[in-house]
Amino acid sequence: MHVDGLRWRPLSRREPTIEGLDLAIPPGQRVLLAGASGSGKSTVLRALAGLLDPEDGDGEGLVPAPSRPGERGLLLQNPVHALVGATVARDAAFGPENAGLPRPELTERAARALEAARVDLDPERAPLDASGGQQQRIALAGALALRPDLLLLDEPTSMLDAPTAEGVRRAILAVTGRRTLVVAEHRIGPWLPHVDRLIVLGPRARVLADGHPDQLFSHRREVLIEAGVLEEEAAAEEAPGPVGPSETVAALRGVTVPARGLTAPQDLELRAGRLTALTGPSGAGKTSLLRVLVGATEPGAGAVSRPEPSQIALVPQDPEHSFVATTVREEVLASPWATDEDLADELLQRAGLAPLAGAHPHRLSGGEQRRLAIVAALAQRPDLLVLDEPTVGLDARRRREVLELLREATARGTAVLAASHDELLVAAADARHDLPAPAPGAVPTPAPRRVPADALNPLTLSLIGILAAIGSFAVQSWQGGLLALAPTVLLAPLAVRSLRGAALRLLPILLSAAGLAWTTALLGEAPALSGEAWLVGLKEAARITAFVAPGVLALASVRPTPLGDALGQRLHLPGRPVAASVIALVRVGHLGRQWAAILEARTRRGLGGPRSPRVLAGATLALLVDTLRGAEQQALAMDSRGFATATRRTWAAPSPVGPADLLGVGIAAGLLVWPLLAEMLVGAA
Amino acid sequence: MTRYRTVDLLVTVLIGAAFGVAFLGYGQLYTLIGPLTAAFKPAEGLLAGIWFLPAVLAALLVRKPGAALLAEMVAAVLSMLLGSQWGWGTAVSGLMQGGGVELAFLLTRYRRFTLPVAVLGGVLSALLEWGWEKVAYYQEMSWAFSGTMLAFFLLSGALLCGVLGWAASRALIATGAVDSLASGREAARAVEA
Repeated sequence: MHVDGLRWRPLSRREPTIEGLDLAIPPGQRVLLAGASGSGKSTVLRALAGLLDPEDGDGEGLVPAPSRPGERGLLLQNPVHALVGATVARDAAFGPENAGLPRPELTERAARALEAARVDLDPERAPLDASGGQQQRIALAGALALRPDLLLLDEPTSMLDAPTAEGVRRAILAVTGRRTLVVAEHRIGPWLPHVDRLIVLGPRARVLADGHPDQLFSHRREVLIEAGVLEEEAAAEEAPGPVGPSETVAALRGVTVPARGLTAPQDLELRAGRLTALTGPSGAGKTSLLRVLVGATEPGAGAVSRPEPSQIALVPQDPEHSFVATTVREEVLASPWATDEDLADELLQRAGLAPLAGAHPHRLSGGEQRRLAIVAALAQRPDLLVLDEPTVGLDARRRREVLELLREATARGTAVLAASHDELLVAAADARHDLPAPAPGAVPTPAPRRVPADALNPLTLSLIGILAAIGSFAVQSWQGGLLALAPTVLLAPLAVRSLRGAALRLLPILLSAAGLAWTTALLGEAPALSGEAWLVGLKEAARITAFVAPGVLALASVRPTPLGDALGQRLHLPGRPVAASVIALVRVGHLGRQWAAILEARTRRGLGGPRSPRVLAGATLALLVDTLRGAEQQALAMDSRGFATATRRTWAAPSPVGPADLLGVGIAAGLLVWPLLAEMLVGAA
Repeated sequence: MTRYRTVDLLVTVLIGAAFGVAFLGYGQLYTLIGPLTAAFKPAEGLLAGIWFLPAVLAALLVRKPGAALLAEMVAAVLSMLLGSQWGWGTAVSGLMQGGGVELAFLLTRYRRFTLPVAVLGGVLSALLEWGWEKVAYYQEMSWAFSGTMLAFFLLSGALLCGVLGWAASRALIATGAVDSLASGREAARAVEA
């Protein structure tokens, strides 16, 4: 593996991000790539993966694309971007599917990769619901399934707490074996004992130092410190001197959130001018407790005292979710509760953001965005500031900058609570509150009851809905319309899982039908609201119900993944668009959570309720920004697993058609002709 | 030009999925104008344009043949799977709405991605969608009222889909979220020049 004179300038930048990089990596070497944020580590990894797209920028000396799918495995910082499957097993099979491997081999490779990456989860679980550590291991399995010769890892543990990160690191090192390994990381300590070579990058991916870690540590120490790779013996963050008693701003008493696994009652007092760190292993319910504190959710038990909503500021884990303005300064003053312009300018100055006052908030770097969100929160002069993981994924210098801002907040008399697993932040806090580990195996979701309709191929289920809809156009009279509904009523039990579920699905239909009856009676050709008009309305209501109800009932048994399998294998639609559409549909739960978080962040800033058109428009834009940014990372992860060339991909699961489908087709044909027969019966009577 | 890179494909389908989710929240807008539409159904046409947004945004951002149709179909299928009260009618609506916008950009042979084309797309979608709703849902509505509804549809298509969609695409380009797409690259070149 070697690059000579690599240069890269993205079209959106004036300056190159890599300027003349020469690098030779012999097979089997383990390389640690270090350097501060913005030094171009990620771009170098992308280049080594052969995934820099000449359409995206000007490049010289680019590494050619892999000669076979998945030859070079790539793992990204945020595993959420790597996940594509509805289940763990299906996710691991994605690469082999792209490579067009036959089903038996593909299944075996996926299973082995999951084992090697130490994913000890039920293969039928949804990866997007797993914990961060598990997700990163699933992503590792996804890369391994294609048997890569080279593993490229981009800060694979920076989003994880220390014990979880250690687990992921062990899994990575265990699977590396004789493979070549290149890890980019800004916290190098834990990797050092396991690598043969340390390369320190400066701005524009210039090599500042290159050699065995021991040698660099003894001879080039000053370079490592200057590059921000090695922290100077961090003058242990001044433990704040004894502070006098201060007033309690908010408190939790005996609070539990059983739905999130937090069953032990929690007592917590937040005092003015104090920084409290909320810690606990992942899955302990830190975010849930924050939500209870700010009043976003009700606790299972216990009491909460908190200031008025205008006196609470919340900085969510993804601060860009709350951005609403087009310049940094407007962002700080966006909340109706942030009225003091002088304060805003002063805070921007303190946060080092003053030179960026006119920049677009979404164009800032990750660290700058965190600081902006905190500044915007402080501009509201809150009594209580609540932050969720404010330093996650940042390098040492940027973490300290965030900490300084939190100090600024306490100096202004604000009570600050930060959920965090960052030891730097925890050490600097005035108080610390630990949450216990969640009870193991908490809240198993019961499998939904199976119904006969589940046995049908998604295409058969679709055919039932489509033919029934076409058949409904034969309805001409209210008597015929009501008779046309009879088979739907008789067959409904075959597709209904529970009475409640059926009511949830059917109620909107009946309301729409009633609305249509009313509209027809009011605005039809017959005199408005006459007896005649109401009978036409009744006919329309019956017709529209016959149109939609069979389809809606049958669709309750259709899942995106089997639908994609059917479209690809039975209808032979092009594999890439079908697979991509399934990936998008599988993310709906995740998108729904993002949407809720975005609306929440806006409401908390006093920008309006979820019914305000302005808030809805802003939230849609924020969801799109988040989704599109993610799409770039996702595309990268998918291409490293061979998706770009997957025009002849295979499918991990078959799309079976059986005797039940014959019956289903019969039902579909029956629903097509029945309304016509019903009209004839009514006409004859 | 017509080759879909993974990022193009993914952005297209994710625009559809994101709107599929946002649409659930948009139901709130209908309750806002509920009193008006109960008395005069054609007024509901005033909101019609928001449903065509995935199509126009995908076309303006990705700039590939088929993007508008694919994004709108993903949004429609998603609504359908989540239990939309219009069942398979939703899929036909997706075809009409995506098809209308697609047609507008096809007429320029995918060379122009400007406000007037976006407005034309919104108008064509409105026309097709109105035709489908007339056939499927409002057969018995008198032609006078149906005509009024068409006027509202066209207005909404032009404004809420065309103008708002175009403005949203500008806002998204400004955030830098689409720098790797054709639309973002053009913006980047314009800045450089």
